[in-house]
Amino acid sequence: MGASLLDAVLAETLDPAYAQAAASRSSGGGPPRPRRWGRVVVALTMAVAGLLVAVTYDQAAASVQGRDEVRAALVDDIRTDSSVTDDLAAQLESLRSDVTRTRDDLLAASAVGQRARDALARAEESAGAVPVSGPGLLVTLANADPSADEDPVGGGTAEEDPREQVQDGDLQLVVNALWAAGAEAISINGQRLGPTTAIRFAGEAVLVDFRPVTNPYEISAIGDPDSLSAEFLASPEVGALAVISQTFGLRFEYAEEERLSLPAASVPELRSAVPAGPDDPAAPTTDPTPGG
Amino acid sequence: MIPILGLAAGVLLGLFFDPTVPVWLQPYLPIAVVAALDAVFGGFRARLDGIFDAKVFVISFVSNVVVAALIVFLGDQLGVGAQLSTAVVVVLGIRIFGNAAAIRRHVFRA
Repeated sequence: MGASLLDAVLAETLDPAYAQAAASRSSGGGPPRPRRWGRVVVALTMAVAGLLVAVTYDQAAASVQGRDEVRAALVDDIRTDSSVTDDLAAQLESLRSDVTRTRDDLLAASAVGQRARDALARAEESAGAVPVSGPGLLVTLANADPSADEDPVGGGTAEEDPREQVQDGDLQLVVNALWAAGAEAISINGQRLGPTTAIRFAGEAVLVDFRPVTNPYEISAIGDPDSLSAEFLASPEVGALAVISQTFGLRFEYAEEERLSLPAASVPELRSAVPAGPDDPAAPTTDPTPGG
Repeated sequence: MIPILGLAAGVLLGLFFDPTVPVWLQPYLPIAVVAALDAVFGGFRARLDGIFDAKVFVISFVSNVVVAALIVFLGDQLGVGAQLSTAVVVVLGIRIFGNAAAIRRHVFRA
């Protein structure tokens, strides 16, 4: 018998009861056992063992299959729902353009209406409610490429350095610097930024206006390209971000573009409206109600 | 020969009737199977050694399965279920391996 527990386990792989039973049999101590009874019990025990194996196998196979089925069903659900969302968004777009057209037709009928329409057009432009296009600056931010010395076998389990990924703060910094540099309109990966748009982190994804955008992040800003890029690069935050991205291998590029097209931002819900008086139709008629 | 027929009959029964196991018992099935395998390998080896005993086999089988499941159950209650299952699997795995090696020496004389 080994000194340690492991030695004992390794040395004694057979139940010592077998040897004891054999010893007592050979010494004639025990009564002769009924052979037939023993065989039946052994066969029954083996049947139980087989049953256990089969049932456990079934269970394991069923749970794997169940997981796959649930996963496939969820993926299907996601696909259906996102196509429904796309349809609804397209419908909304067409209805909205109908409304705009009808409104413009009605307003064009009177001088008061025309002034109201012009005021509305200005307000919509600054609220990002209409698509715009023009020259501007295209800033690209992208996550660091996976390092070459990373072990591909252990893939997935390796912790990713959060600093090697673009964070919501980086995007906020770039966007704020662009606004400060005189950008007239900004979009991230085709999501136009309106006055109330938030750039947030949710888990791994960056949300712009509560819709996820993914790496690489292309920030388009419309404005005079020369002054925009000059002021953008002069801002100390952008300099700091450039240093950070160089340290961590983030991709941070910018280019002056002749023509950028930005879609309309999602229109914030109408919270307050007052009938336009005949004397002052162009005056701001909003009266924000708290908690609207 | 008869024990092997019994094993095959058990497997066929299980696959054919697909009995439903109560949910509270399900986590202990895999460990019970490992314990059962240990008893079966031990019995087979004892048979080749010429010291097989039906009573010892049946008792070792039942107690193996019950004790293994009980240890894991106890571990679950104490919050160390995963670690205790690992311990049971390691010990029984070593024994199965040792018995398989002894059976191999009997069968192939090597």
